[in-house]
Amino acid sequence: MSRRGGRRLFWAACLLLCLAGFLLSLLVGPVRTTPADLVAFVKSPDRVHAAIFLDLRLARAVLAFLVGAALALAGAILQGYFRNPMADPFVVGVSSGAALGAVAAAALGFEAAAFGFSGPGLLAFLSGLGIVSLVYALSLRRGGFKVETLLLTGIAAGALASALTSFLLFMRSDSYDQAVFWLLGSFQLAEWGQAATIAPWVALCLAASVWLARDMDLLALGDETAQALGSPVRRVRKAFLAMSALLAALAVAVSGIIGFVGLVVPHWVRLLIGPAHRPLFAASALAGGTFLLYCDLAARTILPAELPIGVITAAVGAPFFLYLLHKKR
Amino acid sequence: MNILEAQGLAAGYGEGFVVRGVSLAVGEGEFVAILGRNGSGKSTLVKAVQGLLANVDGAVLCGGEDVFRMGPRRVAAMIAYVPQLAEPVFEYTVEEVVLMGRFARQGRLSGTSEADEAAVAEAMRLTGVAALGAKRLTQLSGGERQRALIARALAQETPLLLLDEPSLHLDIAYQAEVYGLLKGLQEERGRTVVVAEHNINLAAAHAGRLVFLRDGTVVASGPPEETVTAANIRAIFGADVDIRENARSGLPEISLAAKRTSG
Repeated sequence: MSRRGGRRLFWAACLLLCLAGFLLSLLVGPVRTTPADLVAFVKSPDRVHAAIFLDLRLARAVLAFLVGAALALAGAILQGYFRNPMADPFVVGVSSGAALGAVAAAALGFEAAAFGFSGPGLLAFLSGLGIVSLVYALSLRRGGFKVETLLLTGIAAGALASALTSFLLFMRSDSYDQAVFWLLGSFQLAEWGQAATIAPWVALCLAASVWLARDMDLLALGDETAQALGSPVRRVRKAFLAMSALLAALAVAVSGIIGFVGLVVPHWVRLLIGPAHRPLFAASALAGGTFLLYCDLAARTILPAELPIGVITAAVGAPFFLYLLHKKR
Repeated sequence: MNILEAQGLAAGYGEGFVVRGVSLAVGEGEFVAILGRNGSGKSTLVKAVQGLLANVDGAVLCGGEDVFRMGPRRVAAMIAYVPQLAEPVFEYTVEEVVLMGRFARQGRLSGTSEADEAAVAEAMRLTGVAALGAKRLTQLSGGERQRALIARALAQETPLLLLDEPSLHLDIAYQAEVYGLLKGLQEERGRTVVVAEHNINLAAAHAGRLVFLRDGTVVASGPPEETVTAANIRAIFGADVDIRENARSGLPEISLAAKRTSG
């Protein structure tokens, strides 16, 4: 199959799955609802069903989709940035940094909510961005900046943040339940406010990354070659790093750490439609959002009690990933 | 008219300079080879003259414009570059990579224009990679990959081509083919070609002028007939060679003089 034909099929399948996922998310939940109920609600809205369909289920589905899109886009950006398909938001320390902020806020009882974020969410966002800035500042040296240094500094900073998180959990074991929410991720507390806060940023980053996608293609050939072909490499790199950090920090701030999406979704998409970044960025966002939509659906239906979504993303993502990897070889 | 002119150029990576006090003018339509030992600064010079290095001193003019003040897009419209070591990541096809040569001529969101397609097809035809278009760059042999990267540089449609050791990964037939291609571009299409090269015979057979570097400075410059001498090669490369005339072209050729280390 040609790449162009493959791309069309991919987009069609993804859009269809996405719509089906939203529909399922609306219908499935602790309160039994049928498609007929939904049709009746659309025809003549009432307050009870508005609460169930819109404020609980749709808000949650929209937030899951946005977070999935943000994580997959951040992963796609960082894999291009590091020229390494194994990169994800963990490698620059943003995820671990954000988790530290959230757990610290939970342990210290920090409750100042703002911008639709909870107290821990706000602190997660700030510490996630803070740690990336620190990692970036540390890897700037006189006479230049090396991507390898950034990668290693990020991994080290992430490990340090994880150690501090574990230490906090050990000292304040009473905050453990809340910490699980942040460390394994959940959309239990989803609200329209959170979706409204992150949606414009996700859209902005998607538009900007598509705008700079060809520059990212050139980076795959090496920085010097990219610049020789006409890309302002240093500015492009700064923009992409800032975007990926922002996306990952926003995602953690509303839903905790959700692993595997940022690593695996861009990888799948690349296997299916090729490495060119313009379609890759857009398709990763759509596929990541759709993937997380279904994962959240699974997280809240498989067991009577809700599962942390991080459990689902890894359990579903890893086998599918292996299947695609071996099918292609 | 000079298309490229370095004036008192010093350049390096990080701190300190690898290349120092290089003044070099390349006329339009010339074929110049930069020769020297490993570490003599050939690659550094090739990168520095197109503004790829941050640590530079002196000036480089390209078409009369200061390269260090030109944006990368502007430089890419004048100079195409084939780097020495290219290790591609991700599974780009040959055609996608050649199309990347059109970057400086495309808008960020625009599609592939007819001019782009024509330039890509022509570049792939000239380099003999037209049949490999749908293959992944990672699947190619070293020689095929090198020709694909030259195709990318040709698709850029610049007056000046800079190549860093284009013969490095090529077997002897492809070396001749690549240099023949460069020579043709220079003679028939008026392109200016500058190569960094370690193979003295290859350079002497194709370039109109050789520039020898030692420890980052130019120590000899001129046509092969004047510069490829046993004394020069000994002084610059530290190697004892015999020089003879090529039976067909009359150009100088070197062969290593047998070295006896019997005690």
